[in-house]
Amino acid sequence: MQATPQANPLGINGIEYVEYASSEPTAFGAALETLGFQAIARHRSREIVHFRSGGMNIIVNSHASRNAGIEGTELIAFALRVRDAAAAYAHCVDRGAWPIDAHAGAMELNIPGIAGVGNSTIYFVDRYDEFQIYDVDFKPIPGVNREPSSASGMHFFGVVQTIGADRAAEWSDFYRELLDFRILPEGEYFGVLPKGVLLESPCARFYLQLVQPPESTADIDWSERLTRVGFGASDIPGLVQTLSNRGVRFVEANHVHTSERGAVCYLGGTSFEFVRSHLVNA
Amino acid sequence: MNLQDFSLDTITLAGSLESKLDAARDAGFSQITLWAKDLVGHPQGLGAAARAVCHSKLRVNAIQVMRDYEGLSGALHGYKVDTVKEMLKICDRVEAERLLICSSTSSHASGDLDRIAADLRKVALLATPLGIAVGYEALSWGKHVSDFMLSWEAVRRANCRNLGVCIDSFHVIANCTLNGTDFEALAEIPGDKIAFVQLSDFLWNAVRSAEERIETARHLRVFPGEGVHSDMLSRMIRIIDRAGYRGDWSFEVFNDDYVQMPVSAVAERAWVSAKWVAAQSSHRSVPRDRRINYRHATIPGALSAV
Repeated sequence: MQATPQANPLGINGIEYVEYASSEPTAFGAALETLGFQAIARHRSREIVHFRSGGMNIIVNSHASRNAGIEGTELIAFALRVRDAAAAYAHCVDRGAWPIDAHAGAMELNIPGIAGVGNSTIYFVDRYDEFQIYDVDFKPIPGVNREPSSASGMHFFGVVQTIGADRAAEWSDFYRELLDFRILPEGEYFGVLPKGVLLESPCARFYLQLVQPPESTADIDWSERLTRVGFGASDIPGLVQTLSNRGVRFVEANHVHTSERGAVCYLGGTSFEFVRSHLVNA
Repeated sequence: MNLQDFSLDTITLAGSLESKLDAARDAGFSQITLWAKDLVGHPQGLGAAARAVCHSKLRVNAIQVMRDYEGLSGALHGYKVDTVKEMLKICDRVEAERLLICSSTSSHASGDLDRIAADLRKVALLATPLGIAVGYEALSWGKHVSDFMLSWEAVRRANCRNLGVCIDSFHVIANCTLNGTDFEALAEIPGDKIAFVQLSDFLWNAVRSAEERIETARHLRVFPGEGVHSDMLSRMIRIIDRAGYRGDWSFEVFNDDYVQMPVSAVAERAWVSAKWVAAQSSHRSVPRDRRINYRHATIPGALSAV
């Protein structure tokens, strides 16, 4: 039976960028370069660097890291492409999202956002075709290719979010009611970590994986937060080979092995997941 | 049920926040229900109040109480949403597990259950990033929602996991005696949609008027086992227990005499009452470990704008 297309009143259309706060931007930037990202621009007034690979944008924000006292590297935001950012923001706030105060300076772009899990933010971006949001606040780094292609067609696939015990239903309600995500049936999963609850965006181009703490939490420092980005690619073995040649080491442990379905690596103080994807490179 | 499932409500006790916390802990309780005014009215401010709560090691099972919230429109609605956000921030400050909302008595409020449900859903979603649950209680003199079947219908329509019905035995019994409400219908509410249970009794068989009901509710409640409706209360507890409710039971006892008595004496009466309630159920629960620290959100918490 063919699935009924999801309602998508906000016109969500994938991910425009993800943002990390990092107290070690140089080391983390080097890690991103290993994955095929290129630093293409710097923020005009703050310590923020824009990386790009194919259709993916990553913001590395050491200014935010210092302000929030973050040690190391932490995923702090994702930005959804929507039809009308102001309307999406108003819709979510009206339904029960916490608005996030933008800290834009003079002549800087004010990107509307709402509070997500932990200290994270979900932003809304509606200018991603001819005009790009980065053109306002960032100065290009001279001499670099501003349109680097991604390794093996790598693209944003999803974000993993850790949640408290028995909180999957609450977070599913949150994403369903505010952003029209839907829960995928149990047993339907991607990648090599078949656990948690999977939510699909209404555009079917972005997934959220909600992971609860394991049974024994006594010795685990578990908090609710965005944990890692998942990259999609049609050929995982090919991508793993390409990245291995660049020095990336993939996790081989009891429950995690590189396979045709996916792979996981720790790099630059955080983890990344690679997932066999049916999506095309955005 | 075990004795660690019960709590005092600070509305029953006289004195400072610290003396209330000490009395509850010394009597044997491990959790407490607080009122927002306990915290913001602390002589040294909210920060000192939050430190006192933290120091007490008592788990805060709920913050009381958001009033006249739902069913409003325009500026009134916006004002109440701002208020409920502040209440949620107070919950967050003391790691309270629930915010309690009682049904509106406002003549400005709509009785449209879909609209009420939408307003409740909004609070539930605001509470989600903070890891807070929301309990919606039918005041027996609520303007539109005045018994548990109506509060349950609003909660059912809102359809949010962290939103449930708060059952206050006083209002249930008062409605039974005044309006003939059948409290056996409580069995229709699934246990996992009951967010919280508040227990109390009173000392005369029936309330004879709406005015007497309010007067009794605000000044003359007693602890379970002390009143004259013990049989009814016992049946009610068993119904809720059988429905699968495994949450906390709090004694919401407004009593003008108790606030003139030493807090230790009142807390000891409450502990006797906890033993009475626990004896009404054959179910024995395993003590719960709620020490998983999954919440570290700061709301509103902009780290950055690009």
